[in-house]
Amino acid sequence: MDRREALKRTAWIMGGVISAPALAGILKGCTAKPSINWKPAYLSQEQATLISQVSEIIIPKTDTPGAKEVGVPEFIDLMLKDVYSEEDQKRFMDGLKKFDEDANTEYGDPFIELSADDQAAFVKKVHDEAIATEHSENRPAKRPFILMTKELTLLGFFTSKAGATQVLQYEAVPGAYKGCVPLKEAGNGKTWAT
Amino acid sequence: MNLNTEAAKNNTYDAIVVGTGISGGWAAMELTKNNLKTLVLERGRMVKHPEYPTATKDPWQLPYAGQATREDLKQQPKQARTGYTVRQDIKHWFVNDLENPYTEVKRFDWMRGYHVGGRSIMWGRQSYRLGAMDFEANAKDGIAVDWPIRYEDLAPWYDKVEKWIGVSGSKDGIEHLPDGHFLPPMELNCVELDLKGKVKDKFGRPVTIGRTAHATAKLDHSPQRGTCQFRNLCSRGCPYGGYFSSVSSTLPEAEKTGNMTLRPNSIVYELIYDEKKGKATGVKVLDAETGEQTEFYAKVIFLCASTFGSTFIMMNSISNRFPNGFGNDSGELGHNIMDHHLSVGAGASVEGFEDQYYFGRRANGFYIPRYRNMGGDKRDYLRGFGYQGGASRQGWTSLVSELSLGAQLKETVSKPGQWSIGMGGFGEILPYHENKVTLNKELKDKYGLPTLTFDADLRENEYKMRKDMANDAAEMLEAAGYKNVHTFDNKIGVGLGIHEMGTARMGKDPKTSVLNKWNQVHACKNVFVTDGSAMTSSACQNPSLTYMALTARAVDYAVKELNRQNL
Repeated sequence: MDRREALKRTAWIMGGVISAPALAGILKGCTAKPSINWKPAYLSQEQATLISQVSEIIIPKTDTPGAKEVGVPEFIDLMLKDVYSEEDQKRFMDGLKKFDEDANTEYGDPFIELSADDQAAFVKKVHDEAIATEHSENRPAKRPFILMTKELTLLGFFTSKAGATQVLQYEAVPGAYKGCVPLKEAGNGKTWAT
Repeated sequence: MNLNTEAAKNNTYDAIVVGTGISGGWAAMELTKNNLKTLVLERGRMVKHPEYPTATKDPWQLPYAGQATREDLKQQPKQARTGYTVRQDIKHWFVNDLENPYTEVKRFDWMRGYHVGGRSIMWGRQSYRLGAMDFEANAKDGIAVDWPIRYEDLAPWYDKVEKWIGVSGSKDGIEHLPDGHFLPPMELNCVELDLKGKVKDKFGRPVTIGRTAHATAKLDHSPQRGTCQFRNLCSRGCPYGGYFSSVSSTLPEAEKTGNMTLRPNSIVYELIYDEKKGKATGVKVLDAETGEQTEFYAKVIFLCASTFGSTFIMMNSISNRFPNGFGNDSGELGHNIMDHHLSVGAGASVEGFEDQYYFGRRANGFYIPRYRNMGGDKRDYLRGFGYQGGASRQGWTSLVSELSLGAQLKETVSKPGQWSIGMGGFGEILPYHENKVTLNKELKDKYGLPTLTFDADLRENEYKMRKDMANDAAEMLEAAGYKNVHTFDNKIGVGLGIHEMGTARMGKDPKTSVLNKWNQVHACKNVFVTDGSAMTSSACQNPSLTYMALTARAVDYAVKELNRQNL
């Protein structure tokens, strides 16, 4: 049971009806707004928080580091600022806005204030729809926001030291080339980072 | 008067070499080893082996995951056209397009590196001999002019060059792709071996490992060079000296003789012609840093400034004797631009081989030598193409468009993905007189020098060939039983192969060519041009090995002619 659900039940037990705005007030009043501990250069604080949460859902911390730990959110902010074309920046920012609005429509709150479960469910839903479209006849020429974010997250993560050396394997100076070996004899058998 | 004489004396050498790339490095080494005091002029900055700024950086040490920023693309919009040249690890080897502009009547892709070593630092390193068929092709087809040399003339020089630079390859006994002196070949991977067997069985075509200028064994004559470490970071410059470049090989050897004076930041913009002597007496140099202009003098001059670099200098050298450009009695200077047309071929995914992988990063692939318009084969176009390709297992990039997310994505990505295979053709471009470069005095570069205007295009013969290049590749992949076979044929400009050639071609007749069979300017025998501009036809093999062989041969001749006092 999440906190929103708990509050609703409490209201019911108390025999009263709490209006939606009042409920929102209670939620906001009794919890610190999720945020980030770094200063984004391109995104706003709220947008960077959203990107940070989405990237960690795409690559979470497990027994190896996740997106946040290796600095993927900061990387995405920088890529948006310096690498993305103006056209891609706009597409990304429009997509981010719509993503947050859709979350609000569905859950009644901005994405960054949703529970971890709701966030993960929403990301999965938007992601899976985008993948379905990508594999359909109507494949768009350019990837939508969620897949741009996934692309940037994977790029940032697997070119990071932890991503390349802990999740994948990396050999800076192989010293030799063996063209055709059993998988288990190719280093530790994991995918090569490069 | 005395001062001037003294200055002239100080600025006088036995030989001058313009350019330090593949050809210039060879000219410098061969001239200095023959005890000639040689001035080697390079328009760009100094680069010393093994000082390559990004060479040992890991992926996480490069900003922007290595990608070009908007600002990079603003500075290098034309250099970025390959899709692989403007990256954080190698962009410093390519020129700033704003400072070094050129004009395109039709799209023309001119990739340049202005620094000591030139493009020998970033070259593709594929090293193939031209065969007898290639030197005879123009005469046989009645195209352009005949080469003034045959394979036998160049064969001993190919030997010499291969032994020195170190070429890894396998002896395949293919007549039109002659074997050379090879270091141990690199290995094909499991899927490439599978392709090799099937293409041999079903088409009778050989699939071999690429022949590449990597030291797969120690080269005793070059102690500063180690062996290839299979990092596949070659274009950054190799601190191990694992592949051949001027900076790792020929220039240090020239330096060792004590006969070389290497002068970077020296833009040669004109040859000095002495009407009375009927010879070139030297070159005019603009210092790229100070703007100072200096003249240098020598008995013999080697232009090795790259195809369009040397052609520019000749077009910009106007005298009473040569009102239309240096040595341009034929009117062919700047014409007959060739390259190899590419970015066409096919790819597929491969089922199976899941329990097999590879170790190390091989900066090489498989090669399928030309088979079209040979033997009994006759197409509706002339000449042919070779393929270069490779197979690999997919990594994380393929997961962007898969359903994987979260912890499951991390799990999935750590297991190597499906095998995929691809190959692209390298096709011969015919030497069309209409494909030309001209001097543009309206548009000046950063130094106030005129610039170049390109007017070149692929034509019917190339477009017909491209159909085969896509379809044949797909046919071979289909026949091998691979899945999702798809062809590609990207729109390209001439130049994208970075194999530009032909604008001061060799030939037998001074009326139709600029250089003779020794790479000497027909009309001025003490000037030799031994870069890609000398090529009479392009064949379909990567050309650098041929430039080196032509250079070594030309220097040998020049030294003999100097000794005979003919120059």
